[in-house]
Amino acid sequence: MIWLTWRQFRTQILVVAGVLAALAVVLIVTGPHLVSLSDAYLKSCHTDRDCGSTTNPVMGTDGKLESGLSDVLLIVPALIGIFWGAPLIARELETGTYRLGWTQSITRRRWLAVKLGVVGLASVVVAGLMSLMLTWWASPIDTANANRFGVAVFSLRDITPLGYAAFAFALGVTAGVLVRRTLPAMAGTLVVFVAARVAEATWVRPHLMSPVRATFPITTGNGIGFSLTPDGLQVMTNPPNIPNAWAITSEVVNNAGQSPTAAFMKSACPSLANGAQAGPAGGGVRHVRVPGNGPGPQAFQDCVTKVAAKYHEVVTYQPARRFWAFQGIETAIFVVLALLLAGFCFWWVRHRLS
Amino acid sequence: MIWLTWRQFRTQAVVVCGLLAAVAVALAVTGPHLVHLYDTTVKPCASHGDCAAATESFMNNDRLLQQLGQVVLAAPALIGIFWGAPLIAGEFENNTFRLVWTQSVSRTRWLALKLGLVGLASMVAAGLLSLMVTWWSSPFDRITDSPFSPSSFDRRDLVPIGYAAFAFVLGVIAGVLIRRTLPAMAATLVAFIGVRVAFFEWVRPHLMTPLRALVPLNAQTGVVLGPAGYASGHINAADWDLSEQTVTGAGRVIGENGGIGPNGSLGFNVSPNGTLTMQGVGTCPNKAPVGSSPRAGAPSPAFQHATQECVNKLGIREVLSYQPIGRYWDFQWYETAIFIGFGLVLAGFCFWWVRRRLS
Repeated sequence: MIWLTWRQFRTQILVVAGVLAALAVVLIVTGPHLVSLSDAYLKSCHTDRDCGSTTNPVMGTDGKLESGLSDVLLIVPALIGIFWGAPLIARELETGTYRLGWTQSITRRRWLAVKLGVVGLASVVVAGLMSLMLTWWASPIDTANANRFGVAVFSLRDITPLGYAAFAFALGVTAGVLVRRTLPAMAGTLVVFVAARVAEATWVRPHLMSPVRATFPITTGNGIGFSLTPDGLQVMTNPPNIPNAWAITSEVVNNAGQSPTAAFMKSACPSLANGAQAGPAGGGVRHVRVPGNGPGPQAFQDCVTKVAAKYHEVVTYQPARRFWAFQGIETAIFVVLALLLAGFCFWWVRHRLS
Repeated sequence: MIWLTWRQFRTQAVVVCGLLAAVAVALAVTGPHLVHLYDTTVKPCASHGDCAAATESFMNNDRLLQQLGQVVLAAPALIGIFWGAPLIAGEFENNTFRLVWTQSVSRTRWLALKLGLVGLASMVAAGLLSLMVTWWSSPFDRITDSPFSPSSFDRRDLVPIGYAAFAFVLGVIAGVLIRRTLPAMAATLVAFIGVRVAFFEWVRPHLMTPLRALVPLNAQTGVVLGPAGYASGHINAADWDLSEQTVTGAGRVIGENGGIGPNGSLGFNVSPNGTLTMQGVGTCPNKAPVGSSPRAGAPSPAFQHATQECVNKLGIREVLSYQPIGRYWDFQWYETAIFIGFGLVLAGFCFWWVRRRLS
């Protein structure tokens, strides 16, 4: 049975192994150069102020290779689900070959277990190897970026791709078992997988652990701005840049935890609230040039000072030290989903398929 | 025959119509609010002096729907895989072509109808999606640097239509040649990505001869000051910059991206007697005023003046090679036409192969 599975799967695994080998060669050739660039830079800049990510030479080097590899690793789990998972059983059902398989000396359960086990393991190994190579290769870039929770980093490094691959594969098999036709199963796998990934990243991942709160004073350099809305002048904030942390929310509140009221904003910043600084009414001016890149006009500065006297910025974030906890939880979620789907497949094949 | 093609294609067409309608509703509901937000926060930001914060806040709106750009990017490939590759390969694999070929319809007509109807549907689907996303994203696009950037150009306006036409016919060809659905689908994906990447890397920059501009080098920032006053290495932020070389008065290339030497840095040394040396170039004709050399923090105005004078006297300039933003629509039309042309050539090959080579 293992031999049959291998025989059916041989061509695909050889193609993928070839691609992985080519990838390894490219990364081994280019990787050490990135490390040496980064080391030389980190040696020559000593203070934190100098060692910014924008001046680190690794940022521009091999940028195309990095984005290309990231895109590949992003779609690899989906491709595994579509091309390995969905046809695995659906194809047998569609062409009727399952009848031959099921009338041999092997039980259905064993037939399914070997197929799921061998190809599923191959899926996880392929995604894991790719992730391992990319994680190693991109480590100087990731160090310079200091944004390990970023969407393009967190889900494309270390162990999360393993979970995605396992889930995508099991999803594809389940879709094939349920739909019983290869092409619709492939399309369904793609749609459900993308939806699951997006939903998880948007609604689940931020809440995996309750975020930490921190308070920051309000200054002009702190990403503060104002927005003139029909309800009056409102304060806009952007989370401050904490290296490798993941900022979830930021808001401006006073000691009692209240946001600035429209009345307060109007009294503190009359010129901004009346739009007097905004040039001709209706926003007719598109490109008003402000001299220099500094704090801007006096009215803005005054407004920030007055708001800062009573209010501060409260930021909730996931600190950098939780990176591995998040990686572990996220991978575990997808592996458990994969196991549940696999269990469902067993049940369905034994009890529902004729 | 039209009825048969429609019957085989019905489910897929209905599913895609449903998805497009869902996208249309989501975009129509959120789009006007984005325009309003843009007009109230980003537009007047220059007079408030809070452009960085306003822009960043604005970009945080509708993060999920902003990802639709990825869908526009993926749509042509998916069309090639799911509509193109199985179109003929599916008939071969199930042997249904034998039934069809023995009816009163000629092979050519059979292929022409299949290619024409589904191909047209592919282009319409990709075009509608691109149109909707282009309209919805316009406030975001006004903030991002250049409409020529790969994350924008490939996902807006006309080019997705060309990609869809090409991907579809590529899928059909793969199916006709390989005669098995799954390998044809995989081959379509690989070939399509290969062609797109190769075109982007080697062909698109040369579709029109780039313009060249000679601009003075700014000694302080290492970047040029264009006529529009932008303090960065381009004439206009929306242009597509192909290269930026630092050249000496004699025309020798000594660096790139606003710098000198392989690291792209720009530096000056000053000796105690005021002799000024430009790193990587040589001694300056002028001297720095005594005591003006920077120790810590920002250089003094006198030193800045001296370094700029040195650059000017040595005649060091920057040669910019760029595609101006005025050519944006030319590039969109050319690229769309080229990919549709690829599609037509492949379709011609498909006809020839089906008539002459297939049993």
